[in-house]
Amino acid sequence: MYDIAPDHAIGLLAGLIAAPLAILAVRLSRMHRALPGTVQIACVLMAVTAVIHLALIPHHLGEDPITAVLFLGNGIAFLALAAAPRWRWWRLASSAMLVATILGYLFYVDFRVEGPDQVGLATKLVEFAALGMVLVPVRDERPMRDRSWYWALLATGLPLLLLVSGSGVWVEALAHPDTRHVHAGALLQSTNSVPSAEQQAAATQLYEQTAAAIAPYEDWHVAWAAGYRPAGSVDMPSTHWFNKAYEKGPVMDPRHPQGLVYANTHHGPVLLGAMFQMPRIGQFGPDPGGPLTAWHQHENICFSIVGLEFSLMTPYATCPVGAIDLTAPAMLHVWIVDNPTGGPFAVDIDPKVVAALDRT
Amino acid sequence: MSETSRPEAAFVLLLMQATFWLLAGVSALPFVLGGEPYMLLLAAFSMALAALGVWSGVGLVRRRGWARRTVLVVEWICLAGTLLQLALPIGANRGPVSLLVNLVLPAALILLLRGRSMRARFGTGSRRAA
Repeated sequence: MYDIAPDHAIGLLAGLIAAPLAILAVRLSRMHRALPGTVQIACVLMAVTAVIHLALIPHHLGEDPITAVLFLGNGIAFLALAAAPRWRWWRLASSAMLVATILGYLFYVDFRVEGPDQVGLATKLVEFAALGMVLVPVRDERPMRDRSWYWALLATGLPLLLLVSGSGVWVEALAHPDTRHVHAGALLQSTNSVPSAEQQAAATQLYEQTAAAIAPYEDWHVAWAAGYRPAGSVDMPSTHWFNKAYEKGPVMDPRHPQGLVYANTHHGPVLLGAMFQMPRIGQFGPDPGGPLTAWHQHENICFSIVGLEFSLMTPYATCPVGAIDLTAPAMLHVWIVDNPTGGPFAVDIDPKVVAALDRT
Repeated sequence: MSETSRPEAAFVLLLMQATFWLLAGVSALPFVLGGEPYMLLLAAFSMALAALGVWSGVGLVRRRGWARRTVLVVEWICLAGTLLQLALPIGANRGPVSLLVNLVLPAALILLLRGRSMRARFGTGSRRAA
């Protein structure tokens, strides 16, 4: 959802080239200049989305000719609408076309014909803006659409469509992440798919060394004395504790892990495992166990300084007001408690394991 | 003075921006249930800002001076915050959606509402200006 599908990059490029040309064309056109600014903006935006759709045809032609034909129809229709804003049925046709295109994308994403990506979402934003510009009444307009019920319909309809589309895309992205995005916001390191015997042995060694080295931290007082501090709410089922002294290294040293993970149980913190973290963003660590010890990087997380809490960025790239969007440096967990769903190096600990510890 | 549709265009963009804030606010709520109580504060703040966005949008359509001033202040803050976030080495998202929503949208709103002629059209904020 936060990536640009390589096949769609051409659409983005075409849209970027089309935007200034469309603005220029509208500014040079006497017919367009005589129309309200909202109509001019709508024409520019429809021309941009038309060009994006047309640019994506060659890619779809081979593997999905139906989509290619739909894109061709879309492109031609939007270009025609951008060129003929004086047509009697322009508003009706434009809004119908825009709504159909937006819902069509949602259908494609939710029925998994296509994965959501940045080009698709950005194009939808352009279309949403165009739809608003087509529908918004302007002063001195004939026929007059400046009625209370019309404004109310616009002020509820457009946000509702945005919310439905955003939520639909988000639910799909969370429910069916791609192979490298193990869960929302976590990007897995690329590795070979089947571990070799050497990688298996190296992973076992890393596990054993780490489990032995962090054993004293089962008493959280020892961890505290060593400089580890909770880095977030202790009201959550589990909390990462970080040691600032190891922030810049060493890298993947079992004796000096950057973090420890504790379950917050009713009888106090219970050690779940260690966490190694790289000093810089965008750098994965050494991977002795191949696919068994793949690092992961949390991207597009919303971090709030108030309470040191996290949430996830929306498909529209917004965080709750007051939170900042950031990426955490790559990390690797070593779970010293049994983690039946993912194993000792899984991205997440099984919530059932944490719940069971709380019950004991 | 001839009529302009810039405030109506700004209304549309504000409506979109308010929806983005609303969704961001709603997205924080599951984390409140998961044990992050302060996220409730951020969710409430986001939703309040969304409401302010819609209210200011309505004010723009009615040519209220306070609405124009409010939107300009909020958008400058948004723009500065985004630029700061992009400048800092924190791995903030730089994808096209993020740039459109957090950079182009506030910049477009500022461009639509700034300038002496727009200020003259909005007057001082009293109802007489409408």
